[in-house]
Amino acid sequence: MELYKFLPKTNCKKCGKPTCMAFSLDLLQGKVKVDDCPPLLEPKYKKQYDTLKEILGSEEGQQKELKINVDEDLCDGCGICVTVCPVNARYCPSSLSGKAPDYPPEEHQLFQVIGGKCELLKIEHCRRLEAGGRERECRVCETYCPREAVKIEYV
Amino acid sequence: MKRFTCSGCSLLCDDIIVQSDGLFISEVIGACLKGKERFDQVSAKNRITSPLIRKNGELMEVSWDEAMNFVVEIIKKSNKPLLYGFSNVTCEAQEAGIKLARDINGFIDSNASICQGKFLNKAKSLGINFTTITEVINKGDLIILWGANPAETIPRLLNKLLFSRGKFRMTGREIKTLVIIDPVKTASFRVMGVRDLALMIEPNKDIELIRILKEECCSADSIPSEGVAGIDQNDLKRLLLHLTGAENGVIILGQGVIQPHSDYDLVEELLDLLQLINERQEKGRISLMLLGGHFNMAGFDHVALSAYGVSGHLEFEHNHKVKTEETLVSKIEKEDFDSSIIVGTDPISHLPHSLSSKMAKKPLILIDNHSTATSHIADVVLPTAITGIESGGLAYRLDQVPIELNKILNPPNNLPSDEELLNKLHGLLNKGGSE
Repeated sequence: MELYKFLPKTNCKKCGKPTCMAFSLDLLQGKVKVDDCPPLLEPKYKKQYDTLKEILGSEEGQQKELKINVDEDLCDGCGICVTVCPVNARYCPSSLSGKAPDYPPEEHQLFQVIGGKCELLKIEHCRRLEAGGRERECRVCETYCPREAVKIEYV
Repeated sequence: MKRFTCSGCSLLCDDIIVQSDGLFISEVIGACLKGKERFDQVSAKNRITSPLIRKNGELMEVSWDEAMNFVVEIIKKSNKPLLYGFSNVTCEAQEAGIKLARDINGFIDSNASICQGKFLNKAKSLGINFTTITEVINKGDLIILWGANPAETIPRLLNKLLFSRGKFRMTGREIKTLVIIDPVKTASFRVMGVRDLALMIEPNKDIELIRILKEECCSADSIPSEGVAGIDQNDLKRLLLHLTGAENGVIILGQGVIQPHSDYDLVEELLDLLQLINERQEKGRISLMLLGGHFNMAGFDHVALSAYGVSGHLEFEHNHKVKTEETLVSKIEKEDFDSSIIVGTDPISHLPHSLSSKMAKKPLILIDNHSTATSHIADVVLPTAITGIESGGLAYRLDQVPIELNKILNPPNNLPSDEELLNKLHGLLNKGGSE
């Protein structure tokens, strides 16, 4: 709502969205940028444009790099992070006793258990980076680790 | 991609990927730390690769012929041999062990008798169901851990039971309720969500909880307002609601409920409660799962049951007559044996000193692949291949499902498997008898 106040509120549909309200919601979730609204670039909306840039820019400035740390000393390779991770689960084939990750790992796979320890393969497809809305708040790997070995942090 | 079965614990995970060149294992993918340790045992420092005989107090390397002759001499001199262990070997080796005990009039027992064995035998006689892991994954909605801490003892159990997405329970963790009954706040408590129930019971008060649940089953409002055994009234009511309302519940019993009691039998009371609840069940049923430690803990009882109709310990007399009155503990306490054959276990460090010291006094034959506390007092050590890695066979998973183990590597020095060694010993003894 904070963002909606500074939009032109004309529902011109030039951005491709049906209403300015829809645009503001997408703006909040980071799906679109301020520059995607053509009327805002006009000189008469200059002040509102600067204010919006300031609000969102400050949030972007705080946005630090996502890191998932797996403590090798604590981890005992139970593989709960492999199973609960929603991205992993989508690509893992199911075996008789539950889901088991493939080897060599699928390109989207985040975690794998190798040599009795959990290993973070890559972070690009993590929901905290790729998904939108509430899914972006995903923390299941950290929540359910019985050893408290997985930690999500922003560095 | 070929997947192997891990023999690190009784969960027998069948989805392990092993990369090897036929001589060494380079990478183990999917196994937990416990399974990794099992694969590392192949080249462990304390591995025994040739037979050892104690001479002047020291274990000396000898040839196979010398060691086998020495063992045959010990067994021939002995009238009441005690065979113990058989939880870290395949069912085929257990069968060979029973045959050997039959022909030398021995007493044979497995680790399960001082662990989960009595639950298994009692539940079978009452007709209580054992559920399988696949069923809990696909249909389960209630998991009760009673005196069990799988997050630390069997790392992948909670992963499979609680977090895997099943066929009829697509969401996995969200639909399954977890109840933990334990006096200690273990690592398993950390996987609990908001709907789950943590019951911190006072130590040794399990019997009070069982009795009050039984009373409440028969007549409502018998729970005192101050609660029982450190658990308050509301939590008890919620527990009973879960127990009687679950569609497919499972009670997982760990080492915490296996204690000897003089004035009551916890096993019997617990199984009684289970029967009572199943009678009152509206929609489904509650079944049982036992957490054994060794990978083939459940196997011996099944093998003995199919061979002699008796699960648990067997005592052979002349003409292959079977007696079952004596137990392992009473047998050792009375010193009613004159030699012992230990297969794949370490009783000197597992059993209390009062028993293990009596065992150490008599001649001791050890069949194992590692030096342990028992090998330090054994008179003769016969090494074998590591089951599940260097030899194959059948083993029973903790949910009483038989799983086949595969051979991945060749054993060093062409070591025999447990089954081959026991059969060879049996053959040598029979040959000696006919002469």
